[in-house]
Parts: sequence; C-alpha cells; structure tokens
Amino acid sequence: MSPPLLELDDVYKSYGEEQVLSGVSFEMDAGDVDVVIGPSGSGKSTMLRCVNRLTEINGGDIYLDGDCITDANTDVNELRKQVGMVFQDFNLFAHLTALENVTLGLRKVRGMDKAAAQEKGYEHLEQVGLLDQADSYPAELSGGQKQRVGIARALAMDPKLLLFDEPTSALDPELVGEVVEVMRDLAAEGITMLVVSHEMGFARSAASDIIFLDDGRIVEHGPPEQLFENPQAARTGEFLSRLTHEGE
Amino acid sequence: MGTPESTTTGRTIRGRAAGLTDQPLTLLTVAVFWTWLVVRWTNDFLLDGALIERNTSFFPTAPFESVASTLGSLASSLGPVGFPVGWVAGFFEFLAASIPYLPQLATGVWATILLTVLGIALGFFIAVPLSVARVYGGSATRSVALGYTELFRGTPLLAQLFVLYFATPLTAIIRELPTVGTGFIPAQAFWVAVIAFMLNSAAYQSEYIRSALNSVPEGQLTAARAIGLSKVDGIRHVVLPQGLRYAIPGWSNELVYLIKYSSLASFITVRELFERTDAIASETYRYTELFVLAGLLYLALVLSASLLMEYVEDRVAIPGLGTTSR
Ligand SMILES: Nc1ncnc2c1ncn2[C@@H]1O[C@H](COP(=O)(O)OP(=O)(O)OP(=O)(O)O)[C@@H](O)[C@H]1O
Ligand SMILES: [Mg+2]
Repeated sequence: MSPPLLELDDVYKSYGEEQVLSGVSFEMDAGDVDVVIGPSGSGKSTMLRCVNRLTEINGGDIYLDGDCITDANTDVNELRKQVGMVFQDFNLFAHLTALENVTLGLRKVRGMDKAAAQEKGYEHLEQVGLLDQADSYPAELSGGQKQRVGIARALAMDPKLLLFDEPTSALDPELVGEVVEVMRDLAAEGITMLVVSHEMGFARSAASDIIFLDDGRIVEHGPPEQLFENPQAARTGEFLSRLTHEGE
Repeated sequence: MGTPESTTTGRTIRGRAAGLTDQPLTLLTVAVFWTWLVVRWTNDFLLDGALIERNTSFFPTAPFESVASTLGSLASSLGPVGFPVGWVAGFFEFLAASIPYLPQLATGVWATILLTVLGIALGFFIAVPLSVARVYGGSATRSVALGYTELFRGTPLLAQLFVLYFATPLTAIIRELPTVGTGFIPAQAFWVAVIAFMLNSAAYQSEYIRSALNSVPEGQLTAARAIGLSKVDGIRHVVLPQGLRYAIPGWSNELVYLIKYSSLASFITVRELFERTDAIASETYRYTELFVLAGLLYLALVLSASLLMEYVEDRVAIPGLGTTSR
C-alpha cells in the first residue's frame, strides 16, 4: 500500500506564548479534496502555511508522499515546487501580466525556456478560462479573474498538492461562482486539494472529507454527509448551523 | 464572505497627470538647449573645432548690441514712460555680453552632466543592495547598511569631497591611471568627485528605494516564495521590479538635487559649470551676467532631467502600479 499523499502527525505550532496548533493529525490520499472549516483564529491558515513551510512548526512531523518535509535538511524551495498555494487576497505579481504570472515559476524555478513556458502558461490559462486575458495586468482583472490566474499560477508548477486559503472570501458574491466552478473542475480531474473555505456548496459536493478545526485542534473529521447530517461533536453542529444561517 | 476587495489589489488605473511633456514651450526650450550643447561639444571635442574655432561663439554679438543700443536710445527719448523698453534693451545687452562666454560654459555643462549622471548611476548600484539589506537583511547587515546611510546623509557633502580629495590616496592613485586628464577624459579631481557623489547619492537613493520596497505588499514575496523562488530570487524578480517603479519620483528628486549639488565639486578644482562661471567672472568682473547665465543653464538641465524622468516613468508604467499618478 502506498503512503498517504499528505500526513500531519501531531503537529504543534505556537507564536510566542500563543498556542495556535495543538496536536493536529490527519491524512489525505492522492485525489482527495479535504475542506477545512473553523472559526476565525482557529489556526486554519497557519496549518496550510505549515504544509509548504511558509511557517515552521514547533512539534510533530509532516509527510508528503512518504517523505518527512519538516526535518532540517529538507530543501524548502524543492518542497514548494510540489505544493501549490492559492491565497485569499490573490497576491498576483502586480508588475506581470496574467501569462507572466503563470510563467514566472516555470522560467525562474523550473528553468524552462521562454517559449516552452509560454506554451504551458497558455494551457493553464485556458484551463481556468482566461486565455483571452493573457496580456492583462492584475489591476485590469476582476477579483474572480485574478483568483483564477492565481489558481493557474499554482497549477503550472504541476504540484502534487494544492493548498487554498479562503480562495473566495475576498470576492464579491457574484464572482464566487466562477472560482468555485474552476475548483470543482480541478477536483473532478483528481487534483489533490486541501481547501480552507466556508463555501458550503463546494464542501458538500466536492469534498472527500471535511475537517473542523477549533482552537488549534481537530474537533471533527469525516465525510461531508457525516458533518452536515449527523455531526458527532456538539460544537460541529453549532458552528455549521451558524455558518449556514450567515450564508443565507 | 463579502469582504470588499482590498485596496491594494483594487487599485484602478488613473489617467496620467498633466506634466512637463504637455508644455510646448518647455519642450522647445529643452530642444534648443540640447541642440546647442550637442553641436558645441561635437565641434569642440570631436571635430577639433572644424565648424567654428573653439571658444568662439556660434552667435554673433553685433546684432544684439545694435538692438540694445537702438532700444536704449528709444527708451531715453520716451522719457519716464520708456522704462519697459529700457528693460528689453537691458535684456539684449545681457545677451550680447553673455554670448562670448557660452562656449566655455558649454564645456562646464559637459562636466556637470557627466559628474551627475555617473554619480547617480554608479550610486544606484550601491543603493539597491543597501536598501535590500535595510529591508530584508539580518540585524548585522541591517546595521551596516544603516550606518553607511547615516554617515553619508549626516555629514556635509563638501566635507566628504574634501576628505576624499585631500585625506585619502585616491587622488594620487587616479592621477597615475592612463588617459586620465587627456582629451575629453577629465582630470583626477573629477573622478574623485564622481566617487564622492556615487557614495553620497547611494545613501540618499537607498532611502528612497527602501521606502519604496516597504510599500510593496508583503504578500508579493510570500507568493513568490510559495512557487519555489528563493528569497533572493523573489526579491529580484518580484519585489524590486515593483519597488524600483515606486522609487522613480524620489529618484527624480535626487537627480535634480545632484545636478545642483555637483557645483560643490568646484571646491576641489573640478572644471564644471559653476567653477567655469566663477573663473570667468573673476577675470571679467561680469559677475551678474555670468551667474544669471549659469543659473539659466542649471535650470535648463533640471528641466531636461525632469522631462527625462517623466519619459522613463511613462515608459515603465504598469497599470495599477501607481507610478503614473503624481
Ligand atoms: N505571523 C504571526 N505572528 C503571530 N501570531 C500569528 C501569526 N499568524 C497567525 N497568528 C495568530 O495565530 C492564530 C491563528 O491564526 P490563523 O490565521 O491561522 O487563523 P485562521 O483560522 O486562518 O483565521 P481566519 O479565519 O481569520 O483566517 C491567530 O490568533 C493569529 O493571531
Ligand atoms: Mg486564515
């Protein structure tokens, strides 16, 4: 049996006195789409940032494809080639066109030549439906288009795992749909995704598992049906009902 | 849900503010100024005085003198109401008196430009690592960079010039270099001044660039690192291209300052515009004419620099990066 694609084993993280993650453990297999939910400040972003080592953990281990990625001699740049990230506020490179945003990593990290990088860049822009905006600068794109470029930029590196940190929460409501649609397509293609999102429609239909994080601990972890229909912990039910009320 | 788009990402493209490039009179002045300079330099430096003898002006003084005297007698015949005509006469007198000195001043302008451009351009290459060290360095590199900046911003430029010129072996070393002081390659004092301006300007430029780097949102480097770029590469390919654009207005300021501060080089015998003016004035006692003339030449240089920087700013402008709005 092959190892899980991603495994967090008893991960601890604190900022000074403040304990942000307190013994987080879970596994994901290749092709899984896990959605992380939880109140503000519960440590969701921190957990994602630990996986691509934008943040260093204080205890426990993280494994990608069986390799421990949290020991001291891991090459973080090598790791980040394999783990893409999509940000809440897009963070598109403001001085580059959509196409250049997608190809920067291909050229400067993967060392591809310009023509090959562009060809691959166009492919990924097409994948997110933005071929016609290839030459637009970020300031010329709508929020939804920016986020789709953000997704294309992450996809271009052919990552084993894609991390999404609230990819739709900075968007005007009418722009959420186009981004969710792209994410659904990726899920259907079998791309492994770890998604922090309170977009319940996406969680219900696309998630393999939902992870409810509260105060740095996993309170409940299971398939969507379980969490939505039959939550095991009282706090899960409360949180979800508050969420669905707000959503309406 | 429903958080409004952050202001940094939602910046809109603003129309370019009206600038110097939209003023035909400025453009004309600068064009005439540069045509004169280039023809003069070509004649004096490259063609060995083929068009006209060195130190001989292109413009004859006689017509200006006769206009001045005609207007002058007209003014006095008009009596008390003739004073505006008297002013115009005075202006023509000024022109007639200035014309003979223009060739020598053009040589001084050459040195001033070379001094400023070399100082600022070489300083730039020190300023970029300095500012990156200030923003992204560890505490040791940060203190070194800060110490450098404080030293050069905290002491008078004139003192820096004197120290380099008199108290270091720099002058002697440069004097021994081949070609220094021959043809249109200036003598050693000039190169000492270039080094002083480079070191000094680097300190000021690094301040402008540092604050520009700080205005690049943190998420830009995070995103660069997230696709696997090292910190250095992220700074190089993502932060600097944006930060340097933000730094252009500050950079234009620095250029304008340096054009004028380059006159301090006259204190260490560099034969730039101010030194030439002063030298001719003390020979001819025509202080007023010469310093007004020098002032006008400095003004033309500053206008040219502003125009150039406006052009550069327009050329590298990127929608949403906020460099085109002044
Ligand atoms: N760089 C940091 N330095 C200090 N404290 C931090 C840092 N990043 C996060 N924290 C703290 O860690 C806690 C968890 O933050 P985190 O951003 O992971 O929460 P979150 O679940 O993503 O919240 P949200 O839903 O608001 O995005 C918060 O209390 C936050 O203040
Ligand atoms: Mg968060």
